Amino acid sequence: MTSEPRIAVSGLTVRYNDVVAVDNIDFTIQPGELVTLLGPSGCGKTTTLRAIAGLEDPSAGSIRLGTEIVYSSAQRRNIPSEKRGLSMVFQSYAIWPHMTVSENVAYGLNVRKLPRAEVDQNVRRVLDLVQMTAYADRPASKLSGGQQQRIAVARAIAFSPTVLLFDEPLSNLDAKLRTEMRVELRELQRRLDITSVYVTHDQEEALAISDRVIVMNHGRIEQIGSPETIYNRPQSMFVADFVGAANLIKGRVIATHDGMTDFETVGGLTLHAAGLANGDETILALRSAYITLQRQADADANVASGTIHRRMFHGDFIQYVVDWPAGQLIVRRPPTEMIEEGANVTIAFAPDHCILLAER
Amino acid sequence: MTLLVLILLLCAALVIYPVVFIVAESINVGEPGVFPPPEISFHNFAAMSEDLDVIGNTLMVAFGATVMAVVIGFVLAWILTRTNIPGRARLERLMELPYYMTPLVGAMAWGILAAPKTGLLNQAWHVMGGRSDLFDIYSPFGIAWVMALFEGTVAFVMISAAMKSMDPSLEESSRVLGAGKMRTALRITLPLVAPGVLSATVFVFAEMLGAFAAAFVLGIPGRFYVVTTAIWEATQSFPPQYGRAAALGLSLFGAMVVTLTIAKLIMRRGSHATITGKGFRPRPVDAGSAKWLLLAIAWSYIVLAVILPLAALLLTSFQRFATVILSDSVFTIANYQTALSTGTLGQAFINSLILGLSVATIGVLIMGILTWIIYRSKIPGRTVIEYVVMFPQAVPRLIFGLGLLWAWINIPIPIYGTLWLLGIAYFTVFLPLGVRTLAGVVMQVDRSLEECARVCGASWSHQMRTVSLPLLRPGIAAAWLLIFIASIRELGASIFLMGPQSKVISPAIINAWLSSSSELSAAMAMILTATVFVAVIILFAVARKLTGNPA
Repeated sequence: MTSEPRIAVSGLTVRYNDVVAVDNIDFTIQPGELVTLLGPSGCGKTTTLRAIAGLEDPSAGSIRLGTEIVYSSAQRRNIPSEKRGLSMVFQSYAIWPHMTVSENVAYGLNVRKLPRAEVDQNVRRVLDLVQMTAYADRPASKLSGGQQQRIAVARAIAFSPTVLLFDEPLSNLDAKLRTEMRVELRELQRRLDITSVYVTHDQEEALAISDRVIVMNHGRIEQIGSPETIYNRPQSMFVADFVGAANLIKGRVIATHDGMTDFETVGGLTLHAAGLANGDETILALRSAYITLQRQADADANVASGTIHRRMFHGDFIQYVVDWPAGQLIVRRPPTEMIEEGANVTIAFAPDHCILLAER
Repeated sequence: MTLLVLILLLCAALVIYPVVFIVAESINVGEPGVFPPPEISFHNFAAMSEDLDVIGNTLMVAFGATVMAVVIGFVLAWILTRTNIPGRARLERLMELPYYMTPLVGAMAWGILAAPKTGLLNQAWHVMGGRSDLFDIYSPFGIAWVMALFEGTVAFVMISAAMKSMDPSLEESSRVLGAGKMRTALRITLPLVAPGVLSATVFVFAEMLGAFAAAFVLGIPGRFYVVTTAIWEATQSFPPQYGRAAALGLSLFGAMVVTLTIAKLIMRRGSHATITGKGFRPRPVDAGSAKWLLLAIAWSYIVLAVILPLAALLLTSFQRFATVILSDSVFTIANYQTALSTGTLGQAFINSLILGLSVATIGVLIMGILTWIIYRSKIPGRTVIEYVVMFPQAVPRLIFGLGLLWAWINIPIPIYGTLWLLGIAYFTVFLPLGVRTLAGVVMQVDRSLEECARVCGASWSHQMRTVSLPLLRPGIAAAWLLIFIASIRELGASIFLMGPQSKVISPAIINAWLSSSSELSAAMAMILTATVFVAVIILFAVARKLTGNPA
């Protein structure tokens, strides 16, 4: 990542009266990247996106698009939305009900006063991309949610913007359509190689769709990283808890040796975690998918015995609640590994998957 | 930007200026109508002890009217929202008609129907062998009856809103847990709608305190005064008792503010479970064979409040002398000819049309800008603007008119007695109506529809032209029509502000009613009603288009 960033946000702060919605955040996005802003509602992710779009007046900081500074509190500069050359897909789709599908899609092209032939050609091109060519002359108010979503995307990419912003674009669709559209959006973004910022509160969606994920909480950035990093190496309790399913086991660090840390849990169990601790860690985070219950454990694995307290069949996986010396442990196993409730099991997990975190 | 500030200052001045004069006049014991008051004392308020009978009358009539209006409203609301009687949707539409008929026209129609001896119903009763009169409308009960029919429609609206907003699962869970229909109604339904009903009751009571037209048309002939008519009488006497009028007016204003605040508090405290913001379609109760009885009750309201009054007006307006005995009657169109040709009367109708068209047009423009400032801009102090703009709705129209009268007499701009003054007054008193209607429309248009246009590269003006205005158009048309209708039928403010050269229709009808024949007044009332109904029909068509368009 040495090239000039397509988007550079630095020191961005957005305040509403006394409430700080976005608190001094920095990040950059490389050309062609799809970066997700992930967090619970009220974490400032949508406000950040809207500030990039020019729909929100920040209180401090700067935003750069390529070489152009579009917002800077120091220079008292705030370029209006329509001059930023970016595009956005809104959560509500914002399909204008008084226009036809192609009028909606052609809007950005007509604003730019392109010749008629070019407008028509582009409208046809993007409607084809989202497979909505058959609907071109329909009134936009007569579309289903999924169709409106496709038109919103077509409209957003029609005038070939340099940056595309997505504000929870899939949150109003039903679960099945959502997973389908997720794949389509990612395909489209790759094909057009368009730099994208994507806001969502759905951690699964964020992991599946992104090149990098920015996890936000209370207006601050918790962690920036690839989906794998965010999942495997969470840097804070918040990230470990919010992204994926994790057990947060309380205890304290008792020793470090040979690049390993010994952690004593409540209940007196000693677990080994890879890496050296600072000493102030009081939480061991462990993904429930990384725990085995019957397989032969590796030599260096943490091993403990436990009893199946409850079994819940989810279809794609089985979730077990296991009683063990440190309390209760949530374990997810494939549906092929069926164990009866009350059975005694051997719990095993690798030190690599034990993440030591400080409580904040 | 300077234009914006100018409009804001102008509106603030229009609203606040007249109120200053009412307060000043109420403590003025020197020469009436002079500003600033030459002599100041609270004598006018102390003198209200001489008006105790008037205050008593007001409370009696308002109380009676409120009870009737709420009973009618509750029964109709229950029938129309909770039972499966045939033609519910159409009936609900018809329920709006008495409101559009206006209390003035309603009172005159009932005057024609039920005046002692000459009233059409009483005539018919005598023909059928009845000895005494069936019904005397020129009584406190008659006034309350007419008020309940024509000013009480808001009770129906508020109570049915409370019933509609109730989640049907609240009742269903009671049934599932084993409670019967009756027990569910008493333990679940009633407590949940009670706050809505109670606040509607208090709200209607406040409205009745400030009601004018029915008490005027039916009370003045028998010298039965309520506060509003007493205020009018005080200004008409010689020398004018402006101090008395202002003191009574301010007290009425105070009483209404207190009751309205109580209504709001009840609403807020009681809205715990019923209002969830979701639109529900409560499961209607199967009324079985009682269905036809309920249908008859609903229709009898329409008959009493719309069909019978309109029929009486129509019949009378075409007769030389009002009578139900058709063989005796002499039919003529002379009343209409007189109404439209008599210099001042025809002119009054034209004046009202001119005012309605111009106030609606200019009003929608300025109110549109105000609405945009209040609900869409980020200009500091916009909530203060909202308060100022909504203030006239708290002041009884009659009292606002009084303040405007004194305010403009004391200003060296010679518009007193011209249509200009009426236009300004209409604009001021309809500010809340217009802004509220337009605000509802603006809120319906999701902000992201506008933002999306900007992100697509459109400038503010381009966005306004291509997205905002096309989406708002039906709503703007509806607001225009509402202001037009309100202007055409305006009475409370006009009665003080019209001059010999600037007569308007509603006060002109009242004058005709008091000074000449009921047949002529009936013709004029029919013309007014027809004009309003045409506008209402257009309004309904526009509203249908508005709701059919998912914005």
